[in-house]
Amino acid sequence: MSVAAGVCATAAAVRTGERSAVEIVREALMRIAVRDGAINAFTTITEERALTAAAMVDAQRAAGRDPGPLAGVPFAVKNLYDIANIATVAGSHIDLDRAPASRDAALVRRLAEHGAVLVGALNMDEYAYGFSTENSHYGATRNPHDPARIAGGSSGGSAAAVAASLVPLTLGSDTNGSIRVPAALCGVFGLRPTFGRLSRAGMRLFAASLDVGGPFARSVEDLAIAYDALQGADPDDPACALCPPEPVMPILRQGFGGIRVAVATGYFSSQGAPDAFAAVERVATALGASQRIELPAAGLARAAAMIVTSVEGAELHLADLIAHAAEFDPMTRARFLAGALVPGAWYAHAQRLRRWYCQELAKLFRDVDVVLAPATPYPAFPIGQVSIELSGQQLPAAGHLGVFTQPLSFAGLPTLAAPVVQAGSLPLGVQIVAAPWREDLVFRVAAAAEELGVLVSSSPIAG
Amino acid sequence: MAEPFDPALYVPQAAAALGLPLAPEDLGDVISAFAVLARVAGPVMAFPLPEELIAAGVFVPNEGTRG
Repeated sequence: MSVAAGVCATAAAVRTGERSAVEIVREALMRIAVRDGAINAFTTITEERALTAAAMVDAQRAAGRDPGPLAGVPFAVKNLYDIANIATVAGSHIDLDRAPASRDAALVRRLAEHGAVLVGALNMDEYAYGFSTENSHYGATRNPHDPARIAGGSSGGSAAAVAASLVPLTLGSDTNGSIRVPAALCGVFGLRPTFGRLSRAGMRLFAASLDVGGPFARSVEDLAIAYDALQGADPDDPACALCPPEPVMPILRQGFGGIRVAVATGYFSSQGAPDAFAAVERVATALGASQRIELPAAGLARAAAMIVTSVEGAELHLADLIAHAAEFDPMTRARFLAGALVPGAWYAHAQRLRRWYCQELAKLFRDVDVVLAPATPYPAFPIGQVSIELSGQQLPAAGHLGVFTQPLSFAGLPTLAAPVVQAGSLPLGVQIVAAPWREDLVFRVAAAAEELGVLVSSSPIAG
Repeated sequence: MAEPFDPALYVPQAAAALGLPLAPEDLGDVISAFAVLARVAGPVMAFPLPEELIAAGVFVPNEGTRG
């Protein structure tokens, strides 16, 4: 059974006529059929649509037209993205009888317009409220590096499908870490762009003031070419900024000369296992980054993010919580119900604190351009594990996974989660972070670190 | 001096105010989940903010609604 070639390699093969899109998509569908049973990444396969779309890509090329920079690249999306003619369940059972989507989500359309071919939808925590993809309705998604362990979440299916080489490209969403956590635990690259950079039209949101969509892939270049295809203003998403695309492919190989890289310390160098910090140090050493910087009030930012998330998420699902709470996943139900009861002043204060925090971070980015921080406090834990001991303290195993991601997304910062080379152990990731709208810096540093050999998406140990 | 907060008293009453039924089998977990939120909200609420600081969630009127 073949593994999926990367995004750029696949598109190049189709564009030159070396391979047909139909052949590539058939292979992807076969890989999913044979191997996904052990991973449980996919919840829907769009075979008929995929083969039709692939045939159109081949026909375009045969007619002498440009089939696009992502020609024939099979991709799949977290099942909160609208797919035409399919009910968007967002990991829930409640919405199985929801009306099918009338058209694809904006980001799905953008990838398809660039020649990529949608092959299915992917598992997630119910309504994106979780970090582990232990979904009681659809089963847990398993980590391709060790199927007894979680894939991370909430975009667990998106990370696992890429890590298991079922497809080279997926989309997820990130409210508090839901792209970065599973990317790190599955050993793949994942991008949380600046809040407002990409359109969320046609995505089912979780906490609207925090949510962003973003890609997963197995190399920085593959992530970059997908990110470039996803960019562009969209009046259908009121949070999507009215700024023109700023492609990163042209600047990817400029190196990181002149970019001031620092390691986040203080909050970001405690509350985790030693391996998580050692991974960050390996990247810093490779880049020659000796500067240390402490982000102000990161713990407070995480706390405020939890308040904002709980309120926005609960309000979105309040009608269902009132009418049939029992149909919610037991993994999310109590947290959704509790969020509905938060006093208004807590929420408003948390959103005002967010403004202060963003202003403080803006000062920090006068002295530094890129910050390195651990992606998760520890590697993937066994499915079903409820708590974890850290420095003699019992912590919620899944909840604590977001300790290093939440303070960064609360400020809307662009962050690339990248797998750090780990010999013979479970994957761990680093977050590469920049000031808002500076994805260019994030990508240049990531590409340089990848070239230096310290970031790599390793093949799974198991499966 | 405010009385110590008891989520076991607050949760059923706040749910009633919202018209949100809580199943007896969920009540304990909801109280625990709310207690977590109350714990993290403590330092957030204790952090003083100047009045002129505007909330981060800013409303942007739709394009095309002018004239």
